[in-house]
Amino acid sequence: MSVKRFEGGSRVPGWYEPVDPAKDAALVPSPQEVQVPAELRGEIERHMALYPDSRSAALPALAAAQRVHGWCSPEAIDQVACVMALTPAYLDAVATFYDMLDTEPVGRHSVYVCTNISCSLRGAGELYEAMRDGAGDDPEFNVRAFECLGACDIAPMASVDGVYVGPLAPEDVPRLLEDVRAGRPVLADKQLSTRIVADPNANSRAYPSHPIEGGES
Amino acid sequence: MSDILLFKDIDEPGLATLEVYAKRGGYESLRKALEMTPEEVLAQLESSGLRGRGGAGFAMGKKVSFLPKGSIDKYLVCNADESEPGTFKDRELMQKSPHMLIEGIVIASYAAGASRSFIYIRGEYVRQADMLDAALAEATQAGYIGEDILKSGHSLSLVVHRGAGAYICGEETGLLDSLEGKRGNPRLKPPFPANQGLYQGPTLINNVETLATVPAIIAMGGEQYAKLGTDTSKGTKLVSVSGHVQRPGNYEIELGTPSREIIYGLAGGPPEGRQVKCWFPGGSSAPVLTAGDLDLPYDFDSMAKAGSMLGSGAIIVVDDSTPILDVALKVAKFYRHESCGKCTPCREGTNWTVKMLERIDNGTATPMDIEIMASVQEHIIGNCLCVLGDAMAMPIGSMIAKFRDEFETHIEQARARNDLAPAEPEPALAGGVSAHA
Amino acid sequence: MPRPEPKTITFTIDGREVQAPENAMLVDAAKLGDVEIPVFCYEPKLGNPVGACRMCLVEIEGIPKLQTGCSTPVKDGMVVNTESERVKTAQQSVVEFLLINHPLDCPVCDKGGECPLQDITFGWGPGKTRFVEEKRHFVKPLELSPEIAIDRERCILCYRCVRFSQEISEDYQLVLLERGAHSYVSTFDGHPYVAPFSGNIVELCPVGALTSREYRFRARPWDIEDAGSVCTLCPAQCNVTLTVRDERILRVLARDHSEVDDGWLCDRGRFAYPRLGGEGRVTEPLLRDGGELRPVSWERALEEAATRLKRAGAATGAIVGGGATNEEGLLLSRIMREGLDSPHIDSRVAGTLPLELHRALAEPNLQASVSDLEFAHAVLVLDCNPIEDAAILDLRLRKGVRRHGMKLVPATAADLLDERSAQELAAKLRATGPADDAGAEVVVLWGERLTAGPDGARAAQALLDLASTLNLADTKGAGLLEIPARANGRGLREAGVLPNAGPGLSALAEDGLDAIGIARALGEGELSCAYLLGADRAGEEWERALERATTVISHATFLTDALREHADVVFPAGAYAEKEGTIVHPDGRIQRLRQAAAHPGECRAEWQVLAELARRIGLDVEIQSGAMASQQLFDAVPRYAGLTLEEIGGRGVKPHEREVAVAS
Repeated sequence: MSVKRFEGGSRVPGWYEPVDPAKDAALVPSPQEVQVPAELRGEIERHMALYPDSRSAALPALAAAQRVHGWCSPEAIDQVACVMALTPAYLDAVATFYDMLDTEPVGRHSVYVCTNISCSLRGAGELYEAMRDGAGDDPEFNVRAFECLGACDIAPMASVDGVYVGPLAPEDVPRLLEDVRAGRPVLADKQLSTRIVADPNANSRAYPSHPIEGGES
Repeated sequence: MSDILLFKDIDEPGLATLEVYAKRGGYESLRKALEMTPEEVLAQLESSGLRGRGGAGFAMGKKVSFLPKGSIDKYLVCNADESEPGTFKDRELMQKSPHMLIEGIVIASYAAGASRSFIYIRGEYVRQADMLDAALAEATQAGYIGEDILKSGHSLSLVVHRGAGAYICGEETGLLDSLEGKRGNPRLKPPFPANQGLYQGPTLINNVETLATVPAIIAMGGEQYAKLGTDTSKGTKLVSVSGHVQRPGNYEIELGTPSREIIYGLAGGPPEGRQVKCWFPGGSSAPVLTAGDLDLPYDFDSMAKAGSMLGSGAIIVVDDSTPILDVALKVAKFYRHESCGKCTPCREGTNWTVKMLERIDNGTATPMDIEIMASVQEHIIGNCLCVLGDAMAMPIGSMIAKFRDEFETHIEQARARNDLAPAEPEPALAGGVSAHA
Repeated sequence: MPRPEPKTITFTIDGREVQAPENAMLVDAAKLGDVEIPVFCYEPKLGNPVGACRMCLVEIEGIPKLQTGCSTPVKDGMVVNTESERVKTAQQSVVEFLLINHPLDCPVCDKGGECPLQDITFGWGPGKTRFVEEKRHFVKPLELSPEIAIDRERCILCYRCVRFSQEISEDYQLVLLERGAHSYVSTFDGHPYVAPFSGNIVELCPVGALTSREYRFRARPWDIEDAGSVCTLCPAQCNVTLTVRDERILRVLARDHSEVDDGWLCDRGRFAYPRLGGEGRVTEPLLRDGGELRPVSWERALEEAATRLKRAGAATGAIVGGGATNEEGLLLSRIMREGLDSPHIDSRVAGTLPLELHRALAEPNLQASVSDLEFAHAVLVLDCNPIEDAAILDLRLRKGVRRHGMKLVPATAADLLDERSAQELAAKLRATGPADDAGAEVVVLWGERLTAGPDGARAAQALLDLASTLNLADTKGAGLLEIPARANGRGLREAGVLPNAGPGLSALAEDGLDAIGIARALGEGELSCAYLLGADRAGEEWERALERATTVISHATFLTDALREHADVVFPAGAYAEKEGTIVHPDGRIQRLRQAAAHPGECRAEWQVLAELARRIGLDVEIQSGAMASQQLFDAVPRYAGLTLEEIGGRGVKPHEREVAVAS
């Protein structure tokens, strides 16, 4: 399967970007230049207060900004930089390191389909493709193949806006997407939270008999 | 089983609340520990023989004892960045019995003299982090966390810190950098975290399961705990079994239980008509074992002796319906994706390995590529900054060693599909912008 | 603060016993035994080793895994092997890995010929690659800043440049984005990397990924020569290596001197030179003729200047600019005092300080060194702004704070002049010291402007009082460090270019007017001739002075508006790379300028012009060469007695430390 690529075969958009010499150097933004929503500022400052070194709050702060802005946009990063008195480049470096922080615009609802080994052995490739096809070009969805989400007991599975559901079959996809669109709890009967550890029948679904395929991450 | 410790009440409704946890004897171990001196608690941990449950298997008591004494700021960090493929035991503990972890953290911090603690939980575990936060609020309210805990003079703060999706943050020094608000690049060791860890201060880092075992050790006594398991692998272990088995899930076993009993007895083995082709005994970083190894006792030393490792206790079973190349490619791509990029062999070696496996799959490889691939794995092992490079190179190397015939057949079949004669391929020309990495 | 004083140990490397300082990193210790361990990411200037490139893997007896030589401190009895099969295989594999995505475009790469990757591949590489897949390809080079281009294909992700930005200049503008094989060096959202020290990343880059846009494709390593000199664009006087081709300066590189610049160079020092050497320079003598400056012969210009000077005699006032060497200053002061009988010469910007204060501030045991800034318990930054006044010191202060926990205490003259706040300041500084009686090591980094104003003398006294309160004179590693207003401010004072002091701060029979006095006297017609040796003075007072002066004689590299309007004779002057002579660093170190570039056009050395001028006004200074000018300086300044240019060499000499050495 193909991976989204930019000019020259790059999987990373930034590789191709020269700087804009008309811009100024990106220093720590001053409160005069950057307006930060009060609620976001409050949340970031609460996190900063939890640590001996306030810089530790970089991840929670970026996550908070992402919730507000939908992604870690340059504007969002500027706001965090302003509150935390760090340079935006520092935060950009952090944001691009972590899979859950999006530095490109994405759909509001994240659907992470685990395509790592254990899920793939049980049909994650097929599930991921069904999920992508199901969501189609609906801009509300951010369907991603994800590395092991730590729920191989319900393989193949997905994390839908942070809620773990599984085991999933391609047939579950329409209902899953519908639940999200309708704002209902997603696949209430398949949520991990309802599963009993020691239930010998908790995962009796037979897995498909084909080898691993698809599910690039 | 009488030796079930961590999962004793695991499916009890409401165990995650302080009320139910307390009814089941929760925080009794803490009371007991706080009546002892920190040295006595440490002695219990040392006599228990408890080895780290995160992957490396280092003796927990010894790790605590490495921290310098004296009244300097010391930290305890709980590694809850459970990201090793196939591993989901810590998730179970945190969502069902968060207080057990918190209790373990408080006792361990008392023994180590740490006054600040953090749980670094992977960002994907949204629900588990929320459960921990709720439990933390209850524990704080009840006086188990905070100043002068149960009038013992011991104080501890605890912060649940959410990661944001990076496997490398499960490596302890990568975790520390991430917790300090940086990119999660591993650090050069030495200095070790026990001397210079979080904020350059002495830091004890332990896995969730390790810390969650502490209350049980205090309750039953270290020596009693040490009677479980084998000589060098004491106690019980949570095992996550996944992949081609009929009942994937978490099981608590006594260390030394025959592997076959876990894979077939507990997890049901592969479905009717399928055979175990290979299995990862300790997450996808562990070199694969084959059906012939199923009768090995499941413990640290037996796995090491067989050329693999117990790792995080995650058994991934692959049956004979899956080509080994698919498994190798899956594993290699994962590590390429998760390599932090700091050191050369890992960054370039994982990337190169994926490219070679892809060529084997698409029929542009020759048997010589297997040689090259095997040698690349050798060049990665032991030469990297942290163990991530090894974590790919060791299982890939083991697959090449144990399934070489299958790789060769795969090459020939793929070449045949491409109508290529079994000859040297023309080296791809460097250049052009249509690179498909 | 205690500084490392390592003891010497013996270890074995490749079968040879080698002596090295204990805990030196293996790669450094190995050099002492003539063993080179290849490195990419290791650069001690950047702080603690990171062990990222894995190039320096070596075998150490007793340790099963190969170890990185860059991060392993050498211990007594250690047995190291860098030539075993295992080590060779590891080295070859790292080179092979690095070359996977590195383009083999050496023939068109600006780094070719001076490239560590090229050298290491040649020396330690496998000689061939087994990588048959396609390499990455990107548009290149891209602009990273107005001065720097980035070629991401060539980058080997050694982390040096981003470590510089984050840990040395601490501007946090240059970072690595993304992860793993996708990592790349970048700035935030397309902003250029503009910072006072950004050019250092070009020098740090071990491949051709970061290149100077100015220097790109201007020369090949085999058609250039290196020339060591000292940058005189500010008082920091960083040591530099000039890249010379066809007697022109194409590039300026840092020349590591731990007591001066720590191996760094500011962007002004690095990138200004090509402009200094190029367009718009005065390249021939100019004479005012019919209201305009017109080129004339040296003969005409010198004769005219001599005639006018003789006519003005004691009514001449001279100002010496901060770029002038000690020798030039001394020569001009002799012309003034011996040839024209005029005591009116100054090199300071403003204000006169009583001679005893000059002497007290120059007391040898009160002088702090640049490295003291790093190890002091506290540095009082008094009436100066290091980044503006002597940029490179900014990095040293950051280093002190970051690595040694030095405390920075900023203050102004007002804080010092008020008795109560001065006491508080002293208490605050003292409190940074150790708990025992040892006393705080405090360095006062002060700007010359502290003593330049009307309250200058009072401020100087207050500074001396503070020094005595804190017992700086008797505390090792403590003292005063002045940032003069001009590059060679200290040297010119020592050479006697002051209205109230002769060479070596000797007393004069008659004191002259200071710079402000000279301007005023010119403006009021009391003086008639202004002699400006590389000095550009601005402001209303000077405007009036030059307007009123009958004669204005100047040595200039560039024509300013004031000169264009008022100068009568202009001698073309050399930029620093064309000069020879000595200058004095703020900490008293006498440093040597060596001519690296040819004078443009008709331009001649200043000492030559001044000596000739002296002869024409009837004073034989007995100087026929630059070396003779220096000898005269060494003879004139008591503390320089016995110095030679050879002794000063490329590292400089501190006369006051030399005295101690000679005495003991």
